[in-house]
Amino acid sequence: MVNGRALRFHLYGINNQNFIMRDEETGSWWQQVSGEAILGPLKGTKLKPVPQDEIAFALWKREQPGGRVLRPDPRVVSLYAKADWETRMRKVPVATRTFDKRLDARELVVGVTLNGRSKAYPMRLLDPASPLLDVVGGVPIVIVTAEDKRSVRAFSRRLDDGKVIELFGRADVVLDSASGSQWDFSGVAVRGPWAGRRLEKVAILRDYWFDWRTYNPQTAIYSAGL
Amino acid sequence: MLLFACVLVALAVVVTPALLIQPFKPQTENHLTISHALRRVSPLMTIALLAVVGTLMFKLWRGARLWSRALMILAFALTTLGSWFARQNHFEWMFNPLTKVSYAAIGEAAFVDDADLVLAVERNGEAAAYPIRQLAYHHLVHDTVGRVPIVVTY
Repeated sequence: MVNGRALRFHLYGINNQNFIMRDEETGSWWQQVSGEAILGPLKGTKLKPVPQDEIAFALWKREQPGGRVLRPDPRVVSLYAKADWETRMRKVPVATRTFDKRLDARELVVGVTLNGRSKAYPMRLLDPASPLLDVVGGVPIVIVTAEDKRSVRAFSRRLDDGKVIELFGRADVVLDSASGSQWDFSGVAVRGPWAGRRLEKVAILRDYWFDWRTYNPQTAIYSAGL
Repeated sequence: MLLFACVLVALAVVVTPALLIQPFKPQTENHLTISHALRRVSPLMTIALLAVVGTLMFKLWRGARLWSRALMILAFALTTLGSWFARQNHFEWMFNPLTKVSYAAIGEAAFVDDADLVLAVERNGEAAAYPIRQLAYHHLVHDTVGRVPIVVTY
């Protein structure tokens, strides 16, 4: 919805390997990763992001047993990405002209932006460090990986009463140091004195380094041990 | 000759954006601005050029030689091709849009492996999962979740 009107989009082009879509109503061009109109009558408008997770199907099924799953289009199902698409994609060349070589162009990172500050967490460093405690843009956060080592979520460590907590443990048993309560992957305390309390989710983006860096030129990078 | 100038312009106007916005080439802001402007004017411009070409053909036809007439027909065909291409979305040829959006309950969703990633959205008590392997092809899907109209993109 933009200005009270529901827009309808079409895939229309590509901009340094991130796609552009065009809305039927105004003909404006929108950049996919930022949700911002870059050309046309609505230039400068940003689409409102909807909270979302990019997680393994098995995990999602457990959390949302009543959920619905998008059906494939039978006419093009043979053109869908293969199961090993992520491995294959790593070998695809990157066209962007300049990029920061601090990380490999196709390194998978989890990107967080809070209060205008961005930070990229290389996926390969996340699982060993999980639950990873950090502060981005002044917000204390925790990044956790699930047992499948692929699903990732981030939460604010500031509770609704303003208290900031520290978490420790391993994939399925994460505790907070203040109350000793156990927290699950959906950010809910399932056991202990604080059972029932929830952590607020923080938006993250799973992206390739080159794309994250293009749209977050001032980004910091997480390095383990610092 | 004016005729050939028209054909060249008609073709240039539709081919340039397609060349600038290629998947494995880099783009600059200028590339995008130029392509956007060309794509905006090309439908009307190519039709106008087609009218000019047609008129010129009509005027020159009677006095023209056979080879000249053949070239005129070719010019008309190419300009028509340009006008047609100006109205196409060739990205949607490469990646068909998902026009019929339908869903399966979890029990019927054997087409997704447990290890596959999905984009999961939950809103006002309604939960939907969009398998990444499908989204990587269609690139965008329109939906309404929890009464909120959304577009899911990857």
